[in-house]
Amino acid sequence: MTDTQTRTSAATEAILVSRNAVDPNWRKLAAKRARGRARPKAILKHLLLIVTGLLMLYPVLWLVVSSLRPTDEIFRNPGLVISNLEFSNYSDGWTTLSSPFSVFLLNSTLVVLGCIVGNLVSCSMAAYAFARLTFAGKKWWFVIMLTTIMLPIHVIIVPQYIMFSQLGWVNTFIPLILPKILATDAFFVFLMVQFIRGIPRELDEAARLDGCGHPRIFAQIILPLMVPALATTAIFTFIWTWNDFFSQLLYLTKPEMYTVPLALRAFMDATSSTSWGPLFAMSVVSLVPIFLVFLFGQRFLIAGISTTGGK
Amino acid sequence: MSALGELRTIGTKKVDGGSKVKNENKAAYLFLLPWFLGLSVITIGPMVASFYLSFTKYTLLSPPEFIGIDNFIRMLGDERLHNSLGVTFMYVFVSVPIQLALALALAVVLNRGLSGLSFYRSVFYLPSLLGSSVAIAVLWKQVFGGQGLVNVLLGFFGIEGKGWISDPSTALSTLIILNVWTFGAPMVIFLAGLRQIPMMYLEAAEVDGATKSQRFFRVVLPLLTPIIFFNLVLQIIHAFQSFTQAFIISGGNGGPADSTLFYTLYLYNRGFANFDMGYAAAMAWFLLVIIGIFTAINFWASKYWVFYDD
Amino acid sequence: MTRITDRRTRHFGRAGGFVAIAATAALVLSSCSGGTAATGSGEPAELSDEPVTLRFTWWGNDVRTANTEAVIDAFEAEYPNITIEPQFTDWGGYWDKLATETAANDTPDIIQMDEKYISTYGGRGALLDLSDAGVDLADFPQSALDSGTLDDALYGIPIGLTSYSIMANPTLLADAGVEMPDDESWTWDEFEEAGAAVSAAGGGSIFGAQSWGFEDGGLNNWARQHGDALYNDDGEVVIKPETLTSWWTYLKKITDEGVTPPVSATIEKQASGLAESFTATNTAAFGTWWNSQLTALSDASGEPLELLRIPTIEDAEEGSAYYKSSMYWSVSARTEHPAEAALFVDYLLNTEEAADLLGTDRGVPANEKIRAYLTPKLSETDQEVVAFLDELADVVGEAPPITPPGGSAIESLVKQYTEQVLFGQATPADAADGFIRDLKASIAAA
Repeated sequence: MTDTQTRTSAATEAILVSRNAVDPNWRKLAAKRARGRARPKAILKHLLLIVTGLLMLYPVLWLVVSSLRPTDEIFRNPGLVISNLEFSNYSDGWTTLSSPFSVFLLNSTLVVLGCIVGNLVSCSMAAYAFARLTFAGKKWWFVIMLTTIMLPIHVIIVPQYIMFSQLGWVNTFIPLILPKILATDAFFVFLMVQFIRGIPRELDEAARLDGCGHPRIFAQIILPLMVPALATTAIFTFIWTWNDFFSQLLYLTKPEMYTVPLALRAFMDATSSTSWGPLFAMSVVSLVPIFLVFLFGQRFLIAGISTTGGK
Repeated sequence: MSALGELRTIGTKKVDGGSKVKNENKAAYLFLLPWFLGLSVITIGPMVASFYLSFTKYTLLSPPEFIGIDNFIRMLGDERLHNSLGVTFMYVFVSVPIQLALALALAVVLNRGLSGLSFYRSVFYLPSLLGSSVAIAVLWKQVFGGQGLVNVLLGFFGIEGKGWISDPSTALSTLIILNVWTFGAPMVIFLAGLRQIPMMYLEAAEVDGATKSQRFFRVVLPLLTPIIFFNLVLQIIHAFQSFTQAFIISGGNGGPADSTLFYTLYLYNRGFANFDMGYAAAMAWFLLVIIGIFTAINFWASKYWVFYDD
Repeated sequence: MTRITDRRTRHFGRAGGFVAIAATAALVLSSCSGGTAATGSGEPAELSDEPVTLRFTWWGNDVRTANTEAVIDAFEAEYPNITIEPQFTDWGGYWDKLATETAANDTPDIIQMDEKYISTYGGRGALLDLSDAGVDLADFPQSALDSGTLDDALYGIPIGLTSYSIMANPTLLADAGVEMPDDESWTWDEFEEAGAAVSAAGGGSIFGAQSWGFEDGGLNNWARQHGDALYNDDGEVVIKPETLTSWWTYLKKITDEGVTPPVSATIEKQASGLAESFTATNTAAFGTWWNSQLTALSDASGEPLELLRIPTIEDAEEGSAYYKSSMYWSVSARTEHPAEAALFVDYLLNTEEAADLLGTDRGVPANEKIRAYLTPKLSETDQEVVAFLDELADVVGEAPPITPPGGSAIESLVKQYTEQVLFGQATPADAADGFIRDLKASIAAA
């Protein structure tokens, strides 16, 4: 539990104790009882989670295991036991394409970072306006914003491509990042709106009375309380951009600019043969960053927040 | 205040209410500037263009030719389109509730009260990372194919399995299961939402003698409704537009025998493979109307079950 | 005062927004591809002395990428003022990207083209007429060049040739006690018998033949044997329902009899690719393939597969076999450097250096001189491929008319209807009617 949460519950408890509503030793007793019941329950939970997890992860585990087998063995073996450990898929996959795979990883990283920063800044600003401000035509703009998510990408992409092509921005990262800087990801705007609406307005009012204008309220009150939503946005932007194939296919033409999804497709050919071994190996390699981002980004995701407003 | 009411008070020099409304307009435009720019330049332009294209015959290789509402009339008689609508509806209304229920259940279990939770969360999130990758077709076949894991397991019980992926009667179900399997995204959102619930409420309830399940159903769930609503709206929109997984697993043709021909997959085929982009644009706008209707229903119904703290 | 100013400001903001929207929409629509193509002027253009950059696109896997980049390097070494920018992806993404680039008037200069799309792109003015562009065509057989010609314009030069064939697995046949058939005279009935014998001996895991009917090669051959054709020279669909019905009836019959694997197993294998097919995994004795795939299949299977001509019907028409172009080199009609582009295409097709680097990855060379040059250097299986093609010259007929614009839909249509027939969702006769109707609609709409 974070500091604020501890402070909160301690404060509540103090109030309740002082009103003689609760036994001062209540917390200690409850904790003791809980510990006594916890062990067997915890073990059961762990067991269930592990079994479910393994079942869920079978495809992923098979992917990793297969990347360590020679290509022609891959489809003959649905099991997870490796008899012929081989790292050649990794070295092949890294070097066979026109540039070492590190180039593609770097390109993907650049695009993703640009998108994350763009989304965080612009979507939070737009969300603040929709959630906290009243302005002309707000309901209609909100509807329009939602509508932009509802149109399938395949029909917008051709006109968009034409537009970017006229501007000479094809084969740069601009068409991939610029939309994010301009808050075109209505998904995140909506997400943040819902989160902001969960923050009590009293905090805003308190700040207003202290003489804060909207920018300060936004930066100093709302943003810190929105950290889980911001973290969620960052993580999702990372994952969706990292895996996005179609727009990267259209806008990037020179192989040195290729990102990971494009590079992975280059191992495939429906008309002759696909190099599954290197493809799997590089898929595993490209999974690692996202997995790590998620593993360590969770801290921000679940940062506890205090909404008592007491300061 | 209604839009009309706001219009009337804008610019009126009042000491309290009026000037506040006036300032908010300016502030709103400031905060909305990037979004508005993005909207008008990057999104709406192409959207308007695609709307125009839906009234044309456009092969991508030649300029568009205006043909009026012919595309829409063609849609009425297009059996494959009707079939694809059926497939898509089935997919949306079966997989989304199951996926959300699973996501919520796991978010609650993995929220607190156990060691090693961040590791478990990552483990259960991992499938979502693979959901749109190029390798998923092969992986899914490893599970549901004729010699896949499911049939091996069924074999232990003496049941003979079949090629789940390649049989028209079960192929869609494997895709539904795929959508449910990739529940990581809504799960993370639920986790964030659960974390935002003030401990204060929960502890007060505990002190009042509420049981765990009462605390969940009477305190947590109502406070979580904005997030549930969000996930519901967006997962439905997302599922209606589902494309990548069906594309990769069926090899792009919605097979076998059109049983996995999602609406957007059919749209993509008509647009790019058959050089019939005008028709595809018409299909896209029709889908937008459908999604819009369901979203509106969602929003209207939300009055009855979503509880906002502000 | 303030009220009026505010209203004006607001209206201006809104008006500004609308202007932006209208402007972008107009920009987009006005630049949708159009305009006239640079017509083949009858005289090859002059090569320039200035540095020239060409964009070159192809599809393929990493093996093909490697050999193509080697050729690019060799060409650039010989012509230092020309730079070639490569652009490659897999088959699926390739066509989406090409279509979008063409829509934006951004087509690459040199394009690897496929038979199903060439008339769509050529017929719509996206490709340059190569008959007089500076590429030496002397060593190409006329029938090969015809396969890239639409309305007297040569939109693509064939890179390699291939022909429909059956690959037979001698080991599996021997195991089942079936003799290797005489491929110059065998009929479909004999094929069925041989396949049934293998399936019977195979006990459910080995089959006589892998299924076909998911692409148009088999259909073309069947039609020609019956004196029919898919299209006529005017690009109309002329195939008769009876031909289609008989094709599907035969297919359904052998599937029901177990000569071919069960339908779901076939569908599953389809999505995998060549190396996991029944032929490549030694679980089917016969398989219908384009003969140039022999090397890849033999390598995957590990057995010495044999090339056989496809069976015919009892009184088959002469000349039902034909050479198909594996793929073509085309040049964009709007290229800014037609002379240099033609020079590169000429290099790819006519020089021995290119032939050495590219090998038979894109098919056995259609260029007869280069084919003769390359054959002694080829692997054993590739030499068998060449020999097969050469021997076929006696019975090969005229190439079928080029697929008309809109005909690229045939691949998905054949797949769709074959699946329906095999799963029992449609009778062969109904499928025949539906197929013809849909194919005609697709061509009419193009």
